Amino acid sequence: MPQVLTANRLQVGEVVYWNSAQGWVDSFAEAEVLPDDKAEDVLKDAAEWVTKREVVAPYLFEVRVKDGVAVPVKIRERIRAAGPTIRTDLGKQAG
Amino acid sequence: MYRYDEFDSRFVHERAEQFRGQVARRLSGELSEDEFKPLRLMNGLYLQLHSYMLRIAIPYGTLSARQLRKLAFIARAYDRGYGHFTTRQNLQLHWVQLPKVADVLVDLAEVEMHCMQTSGNCVRNVTADHFAGAAKDEIEDPRILSEVVRQWSTLHPEFSFLPRKFKIAVSGSDADRAAIMIHDIGIQIVKNDEGEIGYRVFVGGGLGRTPFIGHEVGHFVGKCDILAFLEAVMRVYNESGRRDNIHKARIKILVHQIGPKEMRHRVEAEFAEIRQMGVLELPEGEIARIAAYFTPPDFEALTDECPEFEAAKRSSRGFADWVKTNVHAHKMPGYAIATVSLKPIGKTPGDCSSDQMDALADLMDEFTQPEIRVTHEQNLVLPHVRRKDLFALWQSLDTLELATPNHGLVTDIISCPGLDYCDLANARSINIAQEIAKRFSDLERQHDLGELKIKISGCINACGHHHVGHIGILGVDKKGVENYQILLGGSGAEDASLGEILGPGFDKEGIVDAVENVIATYTDLRQDGERFLDTVRRVGAIPFKERLYAH
Repeated sequence: MPQVLTANRLQVGEVVYWNSAQGWVDSFAEAEVLPDDKAEDVLKDAAEWVTKREVVAPYLFEVRVKDGVAVPVKIRERIRAAGPTIRTDLGKQAG
Repeated sequence: MYRYDEFDSRFVHERAEQFRGQVARRLSGELSEDEFKPLRLMNGLYLQLHSYMLRIAIPYGTLSARQLRKLAFIARAYDRGYGHFTTRQNLQLHWVQLPKVADVLVDLAEVEMHCMQTSGNCVRNVTADHFAGAAKDEIEDPRILSEVVRQWSTLHPEFSFLPRKFKIAVSGSDADRAAIMIHDIGIQIVKNDEGEIGYRVFVGGGLGRTPFIGHEVGHFVGKCDILAFLEAVMRVYNESGRRDNIHKARIKILVHQIGPKEMRHRVEAEFAEIRQMGVLELPEGEIARIAAYFTPPDFEALTDECPEFEAAKRSSRGFADWVKTNVHAHKMPGYAIATVSLKPIGKTPGDCSSDQMDALADLMDEFTQPEIRVTHEQNLVLPHVRRKDLFALWQSLDTLELATPNHGLVTDIISCPGLDYCDLANARSINIAQEIAKRFSDLERQHDLGELKIKISGCINACGHHHVGHIGILGVDKKGVENYQILLGGSGAEDASLGEILGPGFDKEGIVDAVENVIATYTDLRQDGERFLDTVRRVGAIPFKERLYAH
């Protein structure tokens, strides 16, 4: 299953996603969808960004791609990408 | 309330600057995340689902108006304008930024607060009955002992690397409003036949993955001996508690494995040794010094007769409803205890905005309330309100959306932050609490159902105390979908018990109907005057299961 690499910015704690063309991006919509066989390598490379103190706690999560749009498999990642479902004025969903 | 001395004050300020240095070293790369993590946790800073979360300690749940205003300011200046009161009587801010945390700690230090002992394998913030110093049934203010325990346990070198976290709660009455039976150590203040005050000590209670009710290890520990006794418990735990498996490291597992009798025996042996040395004998003068900080306010000589209060109840249905559940007996004539509900229907249990905190602090000044209390049930309490002021207080609270008349009723739900905020959660819990509250919002129906405590956790760690809910709800991840199990018959009060799982769980669309089904079984089977819990205990779980899984 394809995957997405995520982490938190070290300073502000914000959730970010990896895109090899743009670097760490704030929006899940801009995240790069990684083929399953390459994802682990990208995660290993992320250690460099941890060393550079850009991000902290990187990990991979699974996504499903339908009609070219990726959706996290787990609700945890859907909430993390948007913000609390009970406070839509908070988190990324608030704009 | 307790006031810092020069040492306390210098210490918390130094601690804030120490953390500022640690953050700077983290940001400069001198410290790796592995090195930094234990340091930030020692200051209550977690990395959660969306961001950093800071947990602020509120010792025994007591705040002054000055402190509450400072919390309002901090939540507004450094976070998103609100905080979340927890079942540990703490306050969590869910959106703080790392470079600003030291500034928050400095601001907290200015009002004699900090974030220590809110994380890590230490003795955590001591909790106590939120009616302390006001309850009619109280033997002694439990905050005196709580403060003694706080001073003894803070930075105690022997307790810096315990096998696991350690939670202590103190109750000053026969009625247990501090959930002492589900703590690592629960202390009940008691009086013996000679009229002396002492402590009944329970050990090994706890929830989480392996829930247990505490066992009595000390029937009547004398006042001067309490620290020696507690240190004896800690030493037995430190020596024999498991460190090889995080899931088996709490003292409850040790008590379960060796048995309560052996635990008692080991504690008594250790206690005898410590007592013989004499160094931990608590001097009466020291107890008196700390007790002086908890001297009750100067109460006016009043009587319980209060015509304006009675007239207000007759003229305002809303006020009368609030009085019925949110006003409690006070030890002094003419006074009452008022519960400020943080459970408005359809909102997040335990959340309080900066504006509400500021307004509450103003009300504390207006109604001469020296303190406000945080309850483990995620509400606030104004402990010493003149009965004649209750109506005006209620009117003000009502405009602030802080007067929901539901204390102890079905909509007064405990809920952990769940998957909406928490990194450990498997399922959301706040949304379920909101939906249940909406379903049962009709006040007449709530009163008809009477005392009914629903407690919801979004994972097995049980921050929402689901094991001790009359109805407990546990959110789990079932093949990637949120699923909710129902537990029946738990209690965190003096009649403590652990709930029993009824059967297969329900999805989020079905859980509210399932709760309603369980409650319908109660209304069908209850006898005159029986609370929900009484009926469950009388008839057992089977009738509830049969109806719930009938189809």
